[in-house]
Amino acid sequence: MKLEIGNFVVKEVAFGAKTGFADGVFTVCKEEALAEVLKDEHITEAELHIVKPGDEVRLCPVKEALEIRCRVSGAPGNHPGVTSGLQSAATGRVHTLSGAALLVVGKHWGSFQDGILDMGGPFQRDTIYGFLKNLVLVADTDEEFERHEQQKKNHALRWAGMRLAEFLGNTLAGLTPDSVDTYELDAVNRRCAAAMGLPSVVYVMQPQTQMEAMGYNTLIYGWDGNHMLPTCMHPNEILGGAVISGSFMPCSSKISTYEFQNNPTIKRLMKEHGKTLNFLGVIMSNLNVVMEQKLRSAIMVAQIAKNLGADGAIVAEEGYGNPDVDYIQVIVELENAGVKTVGISNECTGRDGKSQALVALDPKADALVSTGNVSELLRMPPMKTVLGELDALQRDGLSGGWAGCVAADGSCVIENNAMFCSDHPSGYSVKRCFEF
Amino acid sequence: MKKKAVHYLNQFFGQVGGEDMADFEPVLHDGALGCSNIFNGVAKNVEITHTLICGDNFVASHPEEAVERCLKFLEGKSFDLFIAGPAFKAGRYGNACGLVGKAVSEKFRVPVISSMNVENPGVELFRKDIYIFKGGARATTMKPDIEAMAAFADKIAADQRLLPAAMEGYFGRGIRHQVFLADLGLEPVPACDRAVDMLLAKLNGAPFETELPIPAQDLVAIAPAIKDIRKAKIALVSSGGIVPSDNPDRIESCSATRWGKYDIAALERFPAGEYKTIHAGYDPAVANQNPNVVVPLDAIRELQKQGVLGEVDDYFYTTVGTGTTQGEAARMGQEISAVLHARGVEGVILTAT
Repeated sequence: MKLEIGNFVVKEVAFGAKTGFADGVFTVCKEEALAEVLKDEHITEAELHIVKPGDEVRLCPVKEALEIRCRVSGAPGNHPGVTSGLQSAATGRVHTLSGAALLVVGKHWGSFQDGILDMGGPFQRDTIYGFLKNLVLVADTDEEFERHEQQKKNHALRWAGMRLAEFLGNTLAGLTPDSVDTYELDAVNRRCAAAMGLPSVVYVMQPQTQMEAMGYNTLIYGWDGNHMLPTCMHPNEILGGAVISGSFMPCSSKISTYEFQNNPTIKRLMKEHGKTLNFLGVIMSNLNVVMEQKLRSAIMVAQIAKNLGADGAIVAEEGYGNPDVDYIQVIVELENAGVKTVGISNECTGRDGKSQALVALDPKADALVSTGNVSELLRMPPMKTVLGELDALQRDGLSGGWAGCVAADGSCVIENNAMFCSDHPSGYSVKRCFEF
Repeated sequence: MKKKAVHYLNQFFGQVGGEDMADFEPVLHDGALGCSNIFNGVAKNVEITHTLICGDNFVASHPEEAVERCLKFLEGKSFDLFIAGPAFKAGRYGNACGLVGKAVSEKFRVPVISSMNVENPGVELFRKDIYIFKGGARATTMKPDIEAMAAFADKIAADQRLLPAAMEGYFGRGIRHQVFLADLGLEPVPACDRAVDMLLAKLNGAPFETELPIPAQDLVAIAPAIKDIRKAKIALVSSGGIVPSDNPDRIESCSATRWGKYDIAALERFPAGEYKTIHAGYDPAVANQNPNVVVPLDAIRELQKQGVLGEVDDYFYTTVGTGTTQGEAARMGQEISAVLHARGVEGVILTAT
């Protein structure tokens, strides 16, 4: 299966009369774009902003990040089963703005999974979005049923983000990209001798799916990940938009839709394929709340890996605390099946750093990559501009915020937990925990 | 202006005397002394202004009093750091550096820096309480060991960024914080590349280092059941600190490194007064009134009479569990089980407190 991703390298995002990409500048016609957002009657107010790396701007509550892209061929839209009809996302061609993202921010109201991010200052580097040119949608909705709930589905805003990213991205369809990345893997038993002779590797994804009520979890082709057993997927399906981020995970552990679309672990494994390893594909697992469910998924993952002939595996967990049990269990089952395994997750060692890093530990998990400490205390100086409403951080139950954590001057103290996607278990994290 | 430090030394390095002076009681000495001068010779931002000297045996046999008297000397003194040792592989010295250093850290809230060899029991006992640098086994490494402590003290005094334990050279204190790799002068390799590189190493049998070490679990398989307990020889073993009243083997009341084996062949039960507990981790009143509540000699003799058990070993085996490191406990357990095997013991009643 072959997926082509055509990249349009963005030097600048600007507002203008006509939406389109030319000479490295992506111009957005604001009126047109807002009209598209407001097509959903549940969006009551909407505004667009442009922020770039180094701007003294703070965004909060950030709900989602997406790539501005379109489908040229293959699936009928960016997210089959969610925003378009169902078809495999693994093949065809995608055109995408490279170096830019669409960020979706609540105008007032935040929720547990929402976060904060800075475009400049000492915390710019805490998220990859601090280094991208971002179009920012700030909007409010009429979703009164969840207005004062800590857990919000954020449906109208998340879908507005997907619709807007695709609406804008569609202007790239007929253009010639700066570069094209081709992702292609033959069926696992039809590969060239060179690849077959290398150690075979699977990538096990554990997206957040622990909410028993529907509407909050990661969707795979529109299907709630809570309602599935682990399954084998082609890596192209992930890069091609089959998975969208949910609205439930504590924020530093979150994997945004942008990070599913650009998953750097998949990209590295694809690059190594045929050179140092034989990339068999992705095992899409999930995270559960009941021990029997956790064990069932772990056994299924190990079974699929073994049957595919995996020698090695990388497991990535989206979340911390309770799902550490699922994470360690999958590693143990894989190791028991003879599959050499490396894990990627954050840690939660407490503000003083003295707590046990993961809820569950096992000596078989002997190769772990650490991406940060959920509960690291961060003191953020004020920024000149706030997009959204900073008060949400201390009012609406954002993970990592609490009453009184925002000062009158706009400075705030948070636990890293509230920093949008900052632990990047998708693979972007350039930090880790060390023992002192 | 240099920051001030107090240096803790034992009787030997404090130039009082050797083993014969190990009961030397604590004194505070104005100025540097002996190896403190090496420290002052290399430290740029810190100066040792006082030396606190105490005999190793005095600390071991009167830990509370020794700590209290050391702290008393420091009250009202102006100091920013506390240096202890280096203690090399000397177990009692390491224990003293740790005990006094931990108390100073808690009372005066100053950084405490020590240095010990990896095999010094003080490392496992106190690594979470104070900075313990990885030092040599013998005093021949005095100079480099002190230089490492002084360099770190200089960094603290100058308010410089402190690196992770492994990079600074001290034993990790069980404290984990997130750090950007670039802040440590390391290549900012993203997690995806660290994971793939680690996996390739693991697959190819090359060395790799986990970023989150899981503490080793030493799980011992449960022994098969005794086939016929009416014919079996059973021994009493305890970490509850019951010993003959004069504690002939001088088993420590805390952080034990010794165990004892005492003849009970003629005893029906432990008489109060002749046996007592030396365990510092629980209220000894009841155990001293009736040591059989900790080591159930009376009950096992009764079972023996009823024919439930075959034989009771002529000795009981005892140590103290409180504060005892896993490493010491494992060693003592292995030593005791070797004796039990030699004596044909088939089962053990192991009582803790």
